[in-house]
Amino acid sequence: MRRAAPPPPGPGARLLALVVDAALLATFLLMGELLVRALVFPMQEGTLRTAQEILEKLHYAVLGGAGLLLALAWNGAAGLVGGTPGQAFAGALPQEPAERPWDRTLRGWFTLLFVELTFFTGWLVTEVDLGTFFTNFEKASGVLRGLLHPSGAVLFEGLILLAQTLFLAFMATAFSIPIAFVLSFAAARNLTRESTAAKVVYTALRTLMNLTRAVEPLVWALVFISWVGIGPFAGVLALWVHSVASLVKLYSESIESIDRGPMDAIKATGAGTLQVLRYGVVPQVIPPFLSFTIYRWDINVRMSTIIGFVGGGGIGYILKPRVDLGEWGEVGTLVLLIAVAVWVMDLVSARIRERIV
Amino acid sequence: MTPPVAVAVERLSKVWPDGIKALDDVSLEVREGEFLAVLGLSGSGKSTLLRCINRLVDPTEGKISIFGRDVTGAEGADLRALRREVGMIFQQFNLVKRHTVRDNVLSGALGRTGTLRSLLLLFPEADRAEAQACLERVGMGDRGDSRADALSGGQQQRVAIARALMQRPKLILADEPVASLDPALRNSVMRHVEALNREEGITVICSLHDLDLMKRYATRAVALREGKLVAEGKPEEFDLPTLRSIYGEEAEFGFEAAS
Ligand SMILES: Nc1ncnc2c1ncn2[C@@H]1O[C@H](COP(=O)(O)OP(=O)(O)OP(=O)(O)O)[C@@H](O)[C@H]1O
Ligand SMILES: [Mg+2]
Repeated sequence: MRRAAPPPPGPGARLLALVVDAALLATFLLMGELLVRALVFPMQEGTLRTAQEILEKLHYAVLGGAGLLLALAWNGAAGLVGGTPGQAFAGALPQEPAERPWDRTLRGWFTLLFVELTFFTGWLVTEVDLGTFFTNFEKASGVLRGLLHPSGAVLFEGLILLAQTLFLAFMATAFSIPIAFVLSFAAARNLTRESTAAKVVYTALRTLMNLTRAVEPLVWALVFISWVGIGPFAGVLALWVHSVASLVKLYSESIESIDRGPMDAIKATGAGTLQVLRYGVVPQVIPPFLSFTIYRWDINVRMSTIIGFVGGGGIGYILKPRVDLGEWGEVGTLVLLIAVAVWVMDLVSARIRERIV
Repeated sequence: MTPPVAVAVERLSKVWPDGIKALDDVSLEVREGEFLAVLGLSGSGKSTLLRCINRLVDPTEGKISIFGRDVTGAEGADLRALRREVGMIFQQFNLVKRHTVRDNVLSGALGRTGTLRSLLLLFPEADRAEAQACLERVGMGDRGDSRADALSGGQQQRVAIARALMQRPKLILADEPVASLDPALRNSVMRHVEALNREEGITVICSLHDLDLMKRYATRAVALREGKLVAEGKPEEFDLPTLRSIYGEEAEFGFEAAS
């Protein structure tokens, strides 16, 4: 095949490289300042300042500007000192005479230092405190003792609400199947190539689903609790929205990986669009769809316990007040019930999915 | 008296989005009842040509008509009506693997079946009887209930022929129908294609690698090289110099020593 030299990077790629470099270099400088402040002057004003206090004091504008200047300089001098990390990221590296090992390039050393600096900065910012971790254990032992001695008092109520949790997860999954099924065809790239309208629908749907999925089910639960009130139905709706979004993604990806041959063959018989989908696509995607659906139910069981915490019904709902009151024995019972349910779901779903595919 | 024109291809070109010119100014005519072989190296544009004829591929330039009706401009219901008359057989068989053999054959009737019925796989009794007859034609009458992917390659291709026959086609496009089969099985499949041509008068356009098959089954042949039509004639006219012009100077042919 004909093979041309790679085209020179366009202005878009060069701008992206510059933006990435400016962000990296500014972050690098800011992390440096944070380390210096935390390590060199820790006792100023009498107390060891918290990470948040230090973060509030950093010179963001100055070092941000400095990062931009450095990025401009490095991008300008890339011919002399080698390409920048941003150029590598944007696929806009300058032609280098020979591929050099990473530890012979400025970019390589910068990356190494950057990762190390991130680790030490992270240690400070998250206030890692190994001393307390290793010496303060007995405070937690009460909780652990409770968890290990579950109380029978909430066993019955817990079992009933566990059943509610399983149904909650099931209903959320069931409601999401038909909607995700229909939408997934419009969200599959290989089915939406032929007309501009279809491409627009594809892009809009993909974007909407990605946004929906990016919002945690916990947040959806808060939305629906204020909509339909506290209780399991709010939980069903929250998990339903999230399930639709993630099933559309999983379903449409399996549509994208089908064999095109049967579709062409059905099209060639003079079949209409719906018939082509029914005969050329659906039979190929039924096994992966089933498998993803069961997997989703499994995930929904896990999530519904958390959703109960904020008022979305199910077993999580009675767990929250007991945690607040420190009734660790009862918490232990409920946690155990959840663990067993999740474990069983996991086994069952894995087994069924194995059988299908 | 020459039979009427079945397929007319005029100055057809196809350029793929990546710039590859798969067909370059191809013109040809196929008369009703012909068995036309399309020869050419891999990548010469045989599949592209066949797929342009039923518009699985949209040509870039040129005009195609079948039985006097324009294909290149047809859309929607018109295009589907045209496709109904054109059966297609593929190298990879392209059956619906999880459906039964019978349902696969019935899918040949989709073009004349109502959408709702067909979505539920509810075909009329008459179609079921016809599907059974088509299966019997290709010697698969007793395999209607098997799942398509339980069959051997040769059997699958015979089912695919039955599916094409179910369309009651006037033209069959066969894209290397036996290239993925054992050489020993090739004739058993080609014979069925030949029977449709001889007994039903269905026009056949069939791309082939194998020169022996071309000589045995085709009534005429054309050859493509890098998207251009480079040869055309009766099978016996494809002598060594012609074949070299199709396949290149380096190619070797089994019968070379004999000739
Ligand atoms: N969908 C496609 N997109 C882009 N290029 C394609 C596509 N289909 C075919 N081509 C290119 O068009 C040219 C002709 O391909 P075509 O499949 O028609 O050849 P062929 O003669 O059928 O070859 P083979 O014997 O391998 O089946 C090739 O260069 C191929 O890479
Ligand atoms: Mg081909």
